Amino acid sequence: MPKLTLENVEVIYDKVFLAIKGVSLEVEEGGMVALLGANGAGKSTTLKAVSGLLGPERGAVTRGTIRFGDDDLLRMGAPQRVARGIVHVLEGRRVFDHLTPDENLIAAWHGGRSGKFDEIRDRVYEYFPRLRERGRSKAGYLSGGEQQMLAIGRALMTQPKLIMLDEPSLGLSPLLVQDIFAIIREINRKDGLGVLLVEQNAAATLDIVDSAYLIENGQVVMSGRAATLKENPDVQEFYLGGAGRVDYHAVRHYRRRKRWLS
Amino acid sequence: MWYFLELLANGALVGLMYSLAALGFVLIYKSAGVPNLAQGTLVMAGAYAVWFFISLGLPLWIAVLIGCVVLFVFGLLVERLLLRHMVGQPVIMVVMLTLGLEILLRGLVPGVLGAAPKPLSIGVGLSPVIIGDVFLNRAYLWGGVLALVLIGLSLAFFRTRLGTKMRAVSDDHVASWAVGLSVERAIGLSWGIAGIAAVGAGTLWGSVQGVDWTLSGLLFPAIAVVILGGLDSIPGVLVGGLLVGILGSVIPGYLDSMVGGSTREVVTSLIILLTILVRPYGIFGREDIERI
Ligand SMILES: Nc1ncnc2c1ncn2[C@@H]1O[C@H](COP(=O)(O)OP(=O)(O)OP(=O)(O)O)[C@@H](O)[C@H]1O
Ligand SMILES: [Mg+2]
Repeated sequence: MPKLTLENVEVIYDKVFLAIKGVSLEVEEGGMVALLGANGAGKSTTLKAVSGLLGPERGAVTRGTIRFGDDDLLRMGAPQRVARGIVHVLEGRRVFDHLTPDENLIAAWHGGRSGKFDEIRDRVYEYFPRLRERGRSKAGYLSGGEQQMLAIGRALMTQPKLIMLDEPSLGLSPLLVQDIFAIIREINRKDGLGVLLVEQNAAATLDIVDSAYLIENGQVVMSGRAATLKENPDVQEFYLGGAGRVDYHAVRHYRRRKRWLS
Repeated sequence: MWYFLELLANGALVGLMYSLAALGFVLIYKSAGVPNLAQGTLVMAGAYAVWFFISLGLPLWIAVLIGCVVLFVFGLLVERLLLRHMVGQPVIMVVMLTLGLEILLRGLVPGVLGAAPKPLSIGVGLSPVIIGDVFLNRAYLWGGVLALVLIGLSLAFFRTRLGTKMRAVSDDHVASWAVGLSVERAIGLSWGIAGIAAVGAGTLWGSVQGVDWTLSGLLFPAIAVVILGGLDSIPGVLVGGLLVGILGSVIPGYLDSMVGGSTREVVTSLIILLTILVRPYGIFGREDIERI
């Protein structure tokens, strides 16, 4: 897999709203990287900048570069980026509701009617056997977890080199989240598929990724190896278990310190 | 009794021809999510194209073939030159765009090719087909059968892989882009196929009522058909067309003599109003799947 590199990427919505302000990040070959942050931090915007999906929301990359290996992604349309091997599993699953799970997989396949198709579809069904059982009912009627599996399986049908997952744990039971994370990890290890994982739940995520970036207000405020980040007292306080306890004074203190550090 | 059967059968056949006129509307609505108010003029343009190529001395089937190519390309161009710039704009703006297209075509095509009504013969004799005591209009019979075939073909098309991708696009544009489907190309293709269907409808309707701008008035029965059948359903277009055709034939068949005519338009508009009030999704229209 080529390396994904974002340098100083700035995204503006509606020509006025600055959503991310100079984000730089990297996903190494076969790497598994998390992008963590609270609501509205700019995680989804970052992924859309990479996959080329800002246009329909009247957003645009106004500064910076995004490269995948030698390719300048910003010069390409969304389908071209998929052809290069980048696929984006959208927040909220977004399966094709009125198609069956099997048709969802067919729709995402871009080769001809070859044996390769059967091979890859079989592999998807191996990872997610539930999908084969539900093969004939409309995807809109699948459970949330099944839809998430389908969204990931559908993305795998594009034969990606890098998969970007936007909050795949949203609305799923902790047990199911564990299952899905385990499968993502397995695909990453076995096929060398690069993974860029967006999550709010830092605790579960830092356990499975190699490294992570923390993003706040459209800026990367911290990054490093997962193990190092887990040890960091600020991360522990604000991302691992600090939920529910809102201490604005402490937050400000953290931000101020952050500026000194960077 | 025979009179009723005759109204019923001829109404059903005319209804199938309405279905064909409405087919392009559904194709475009399915993929782009936009009601195409230019559907009537598209049919008119199809009729003009076929008439024009026949007037050059070409045989009918070649004229129809070239007409299909011309309107297919025209459909692709509409997407390329107009709709592609509307990504991210509110749907109402796109609807207004199709309305603009309707007005433009309705002026331009007769302006260039001649506004006087022109005959278009598809070589079907005028003598009726007689079954029992029922007189069937021969042109309607051909039209109905052809409409049925073309609708069947488009149903089959949506079962193919390419058709599956088009249905995916109609479900969710952003999700389609995210897995590498070209939404633009799918919408262009649906306009192109709508153009081909318009040539079919235009040829049939042109042969029964002549070729001039009034063919664009087919927009209204077409809208009744799709509202009744469901804006995005091909089986719906079939059933909706049959119902609009039958009601628009049987009711005027008995009432026109009493009230002095033109009850068909009343029936058509009543169908539109009642469906919207009683069942806004139409008979086969898909409701958005909501899981709670
Ligand atoms: N289409 C849009 N138009 C205008 N502003 C937007 C748009 N999409 C996102 N924003 C704004 O950009 C900022 C970042 O949004 P983004 O969706 O990237 O956040 P996020 O980190 O993914 O949040 P969440 O965890 O809630 O999904 C937010 O302030 C949001 O309000
Ligand atoms: Mg988000």
